[in-house]
Amino acid sequence: METSGLTAHISRRFNKDLEDLRNKVLAMGGLVEAQLSLAIKAIVTGDSELGLQVAIDDYKVNNLEVNIDEECGRILATRAPAAGDLRLIVAIIKTITDLERIGDEAEKIGFLASKLAAMDRPADSYRELKTLGGHVAHMLRDAMNAFARLDVDDAWEVVREDEQVDEEYEAIQRQCITFMMEDPRSIKRVMNVTWCARSLERIGDHAKNICEYVIYMVQGRDVRHTVVPETTDS
Amino acid sequence: MSEAARRFLIGMLAFLLAGAIIGWMYGRPDLGLLVAALLALAWQVRKLLGFERALRTGNFDAFRFGEGIWEQLFSRFRFESEKSARHKKSYRQLLREIRKSTNAMPDGAVILNAENEIIACNRAAKHLVGLRRKKDRGQRVDNFIRDPELSRLLQSGDIGWSVEIASPLVDYKWLNCRLVGYGADQKLLLVRDVTERIRLSKMRRDFVANASHELRSPLTVISGYLDSLADDEQMPRSWEKAVAQMRAQAKRMQHILGELLELSRLEGSAREGSEESVDVVELMNEARLAFDGHTDIAGIVVNAESTTQLHGKAAEIETVIINLLSNAIRYTPPDGNITLTWRSDASGGELVVADTGEGIDAEFIPRLTERFFRVDKGRSRDEGGTGLGLAIVKHVLLRHDAKLVIKSEPGKGSEFCCRFPAKRLLVAEPVALS
Repeated sequence: METSGLTAHISRRFNKDLEDLRNKVLAMGGLVEAQLSLAIKAIVTGDSELGLQVAIDDYKVNNLEVNIDEECGRILATRAPAAGDLRLIVAIIKTITDLERIGDEAEKIGFLASKLAAMDRPADSYRELKTLGGHVAHMLRDAMNAFARLDVDDAWEVVREDEQVDEEYEAIQRQCITFMMEDPRSIKRVMNVTWCARSLERIGDHAKNICEYVIYMVQGRDVRHTVVPETTDS
Repeated sequence: MSEAARRFLIGMLAFLLAGAIIGWMYGRPDLGLLVAALLALAWQVRKLLGFERALRTGNFDAFRFGEGIWEQLFSRFRFESEKSARHKKSYRQLLREIRKSTNAMPDGAVILNAENEIIACNRAAKHLVGLRRKKDRGQRVDNFIRDPELSRLLQSGDIGWSVEIASPLVDYKWLNCRLVGYGADQKLLLVRDVTERIRLSKMRRDFVANASHELRSPLTVISGYLDSLADDEQMPRSWEKAVAQMRAQAKRMQHILGELLELSRLEGSAREGSEESVDVVELMNEARLAFDGHTDIAGIVVNAESTTQLHGKAAEIETVIINLLSNAIRYTPPDGNITLTWRSDASGGELVVADTGEGIDAEFIPRLTERFFRVDKGRSRDEGGTGLGLAIVKHVLLRHDAKLVIKSEPGKGSEFCCRFPAKRLLVAEPVALS
């Protein structure tokens, strides 16, 4: 069965290659999503073992990136794709870079979680990180769904959502500064919290990037560094 | 040939013949025949055009009655088209009923083809995992439910196996996904909301773990004082027996609590920790040596049919062997035999503990791994078992993807067989598993 968004080719092998490539990217997305949710869980529950496990498992994401990258290179070399297919390959090459970065950020969060677990925990057990993390995980999920469905409207939705994440990050930063001023002994711990929030915010940015590639892939226009429209105009 | 067709043919021939005869009377039979043929043709063309117009406009008044071939053709046509319309209607009705019933199902159902691409899904699937019925058709289902566990299930195509995944839509929800074979080359993915069940079993697990933990500290105090009481010179002789009994029982309680904690640890951490290659035969020999000094127990034989190593946790496999072996010793008279066997082939490995003891009734076998289950209600735990050994064995085996198969015949003996799948075996040279 052909996916609606991809054009049909005379060479069925080519079709299958492209379809496989897309499936692989989505599988990689699934792995990254799982890593992110485990990393957030490790922070919230104070599970140092889980945090370390996430940090160790990052190699799986890296392997997939290399694997998909090679596959893209092979298709570019042997099939010389044009138009929509070329955009698909270009978008995939960019998407996997962002996914890999998200994996790296998740690794960082996992590592920080294992460090934070050893320190005394605040009464709210990092609720603000949980909220931000939930938000970002949601963005990543929607970004991958938009990629799977090639849905421009959903992609715009995620791009718009990124502003909210930035605001939340700002709020956490303010809160952290207040904590550090109140009690200088907590600086070490709160610094780690800031790093976590920073990583989560970066993940939001990467999810936004992926959505911009989706828009590029479907409509062929580059919407990076442009004004985000209030409502979708397409 | 039907009556109408025969009449049509005869009429046609008669008309042409009449034309030829009239022409012959005027001396030109060929011209007569030609005129008759042209007239017949014109008549048929008129009828044909009329029929076409009737089909187009749906107004069949001109053809409704009569015996001629066109009228017959029309009634035949009307009969067939009404029949197919009737069938269509009943099929549509049936389809609507089926769709209604699949939509009423509380469980999500997704029909997949051999490539795991979505063919159809019901409404519950939409709500549980966020599939869109029209838009997502033809795409692979694991493009939307991107859980690595589910991808593994789909790739293995294992019918009847199920995995539990976090809901892609709501954070705290859990879904159970299972594959069912469906027609030729198709699969049905059933998705069920198991949040409540998972929550309950977690509550139960936490309760057992917390209760055991809370009971432990008072028990430590009690047995500590009992120990110093037993050593006290000034204690009256008459109390000595009572204190000894109390010490023994306190020790047993500690043992039970220890096993309960172990059990909840095994249940709780489904995560794979560091696993290594395990030499099963060596563990068997060690277990045998542990019982070496005892004289009043059955003879133990270690039967190493294979040297293949197992990929797993050595400490946990050791617990399995010790538990099965001490069970066997407990239920086998001193003149009996106990055999520990490790064998392997292409289909997997088997760790077997067989004895010639009293055996178990078939009706009890399925319940043996329940916590605190006792075959003989009258029998106390004088033999020293905690009632948790087989439950621990079961959970360790679950963590190693293995199954416990129990065969037993009362009076003849029992056989506890742990079957490990082939992927758990390290063949010849140990390869680094990622």
